[in-house]
Amino acid sequence: MSRRIILVAALLCLPALAAAQDTSTGPSSSMFSNLANPAIGVNALFTGQAAPNIDQAYGLGFDEAEISLISVVDPYWTFVSNIVFLPDHTIDPEEVWVRSTNIPSVQLKLGNLRGTFGKHGLLHTHAFPFVQAPIVMSNTIGNEGFKDAGVEAAWLTPLPWFSELTAGAYQSVGLDDDHPLDFGSTKHDNVPLLGHFKNLVDLNDATTLEIGQSLLTGHGADASRHSAYGADVTVRNVPARNSNRHGWILQGEYLQKGVATGGDYVREQDGGYASFQYRFSQVWWMGVRGEQARNSFTDFVVDETGTPLPATVRRGSVNVAWTPSEFSFVRLEYSHAKADAGIHPSDDRLLIQMSYTIGYHPAHAY
Amino acid sequence: MKHLIRILLAVSVAAVVAVPAFADLQVATSLTDLASVAQFVGGTHVKAQSLCRGYEDPHFVPAKPSLMKAIQHADVFVSTGLELDGGWLPLVLPGSRNPKIQPGTKGFVDASQGVQVLEKPSGTVSRAEGDIHPLGNPHYYLDPKALEVVANHLADVFSRLDPKYAEDYRENAKKFDERMEASLKKWQEQMEPYKGQPIVPYHKNFIYFIDRFGLKEFGNVEPKPGIPPTPRHIAELAEAMKGSGAKVVVYEPYYKADAANEVAKRAGGTAVEVATEVGGLPGTDDVFSKFDVLVRSISTALSGKSGGQK
Repeated sequence: MSRRIILVAALLCLPALAAAQDTSTGPSSSMFSNLANPAIGVNALFTGQAAPNIDQAYGLGFDEAEISLISVVDPYWTFVSNIVFLPDHTIDPEEVWVRSTNIPSVQLKLGNLRGTFGKHGLLHTHAFPFVQAPIVMSNTIGNEGFKDAGVEAAWLTPLPWFSELTAGAYQSVGLDDDHPLDFGSTKHDNVPLLGHFKNLVDLNDATTLEIGQSLLTGHGADASRHSAYGADVTVRNVPARNSNRHGWILQGEYLQKGVATGGDYVREQDGGYASFQYRFSQVWWMGVRGEQARNSFTDFVVDETGTPLPATVRRGSVNVAWTPSEFSFVRLEYSHAKADAGIHPSDDRLLIQMSYTIGYHPAHAY
Repeated sequence: MKHLIRILLAVSVAAVVAVPAFADLQVATSLTDLASVAQFVGGTHVKAQSLCRGYEDPHFVPAKPSLMKAIQHADVFVSTGLELDGGWLPLVLPGSRNPKIQPGTKGFVDASQGVQVLEKPSGTVSRAEGDIHPLGNPHYYLDPKALEVVANHLADVFSRLDPKYAEDYRENAKKFDERMEASLKKWQEQMEPYKGQPIVPYHKNFIYFIDRFGLKEFGNVEPKPGIPPTPRHIAELAEAMKGSGAKVVVYEPYYKADAANEVAKRAGGTAVEVATEVGGLPGTDDVFSKFDVLVRSISTALSGKSGGQK
């Protein structure tokens, strides 16, 4: 009897369920609009390396895949994110921040930022001018620059040329692979601070001169003040009549990391590079770079047991890149390095790198 | 710290000295043509400037910080729209830190609004076709009638932002239309003998001009938009031109003259350097003189009397 009642009840409910399904297919298609979806882009980077001094098989490897999502949040904020998928199956929310340009002459950024420090440190991996980042980077502010949660305000001053003063405050983070600067003090007043001053002038119709100074400072787990300093100069030429066929970039940058204990400042690592990039057609670029890093670690400077050693390292690199479109490139790079410590007094390596981008990808910063 | 205070003091003093110049409306544009139209419509009440120069490829404007500085105090920004400036404007506009001209505000103008857009892709959009514009061909400023639409659009915008001169803006736009109509009649008469004749533009940016003046596009020096010409494509294009009657190759100052000249030479035709944007070549100081020179250059080349490269 009870089964019959359930069956009849179920049969009576069927039209209602069908009607419910009908209505759910109707409004749902317009209820969840995708018109405000973010602009989406994906970049994938692959590198092959032949380095006799490194304990690693030759061959092509996957570096990273970066998904970028950009959209307007509301009339007050724009949302920018770059989520990086790494070969060790981890995901790095490299940049997740919001930007406001509602304050005249001031750009406010809030979130997980790439700190405005130096010149090379502002670049995404696929925008590096050379396959290998300068050695000084991973020994001072981080191989891919200083990235952390914080807030930055960049004031475009009323001077007649582009003159920008940036101030930032970041969360305290201890030492790890991404953070060579020790900001690990847990004291409540430990707020790592950033300062950046950038000036750019047009020397003529095609050439610009840019000069930048950077400072990053905070307290470490040892309660000492740890700081990084940077200075950069860039002269860039983009001829207006050949803006996508010719041009060159001459750039130099110096970075230093140190610690102040009891009023005495001790320089820990420092170094810099000078590079020249030349575009000789719409699809071909070449570059040459010389660099030095003192008291620094790099992959081929190790002792007999494989333990990394600090050394003064000098390295020269030369590369050539083929960019058949704005969305892909292949480049070949050779580097020769010398170190004053470790079991390998010199290092030679050959690298090939491929980059592919799909979807939305705005131009990189000038 | 003392050093930092000194720098801040120096910047503050200089900031007081460097007061920006004021006019009724400071207008900045992506393209020289839009600045020219804005200046006509705005008259003495407007100061218009273009970020891209007339001899510069509008697809590849470097997003220089000096461009951000140039529009820091602009009241209006006029974008070409249809993503022609999509590669660099997303950096330059926020970099200006000017809340008045950000997209979505009253001071941001998409000049393509109201323009009859050609070559809107249908079906799937793929970069296998080169650097195509998914919203349609953005080079509408090669159609005089499209510039009339822009002029009236700008008159509306200027009137809203600066109502005390609204009557002047509308009157100027009307005068612009009248002058453009009269000029168009003259240009159409000049081009009349060449209706139906083919031309070979370097890039796929002549479609509005071709459509307005009844020409035909035979092909392009670029194999696909944004892709540089290969020797094979140059040879095949020139060979195809030989049997078709297509003799005139046109290229802008920012494209590779060698490739255009090589195509023309192999095809037994003529390559002519033309300005498609105001200021691209001498004598193209505003939209009217640009079309004067452009129509003269192309009609002369089609008549076989061109002084261009043969």
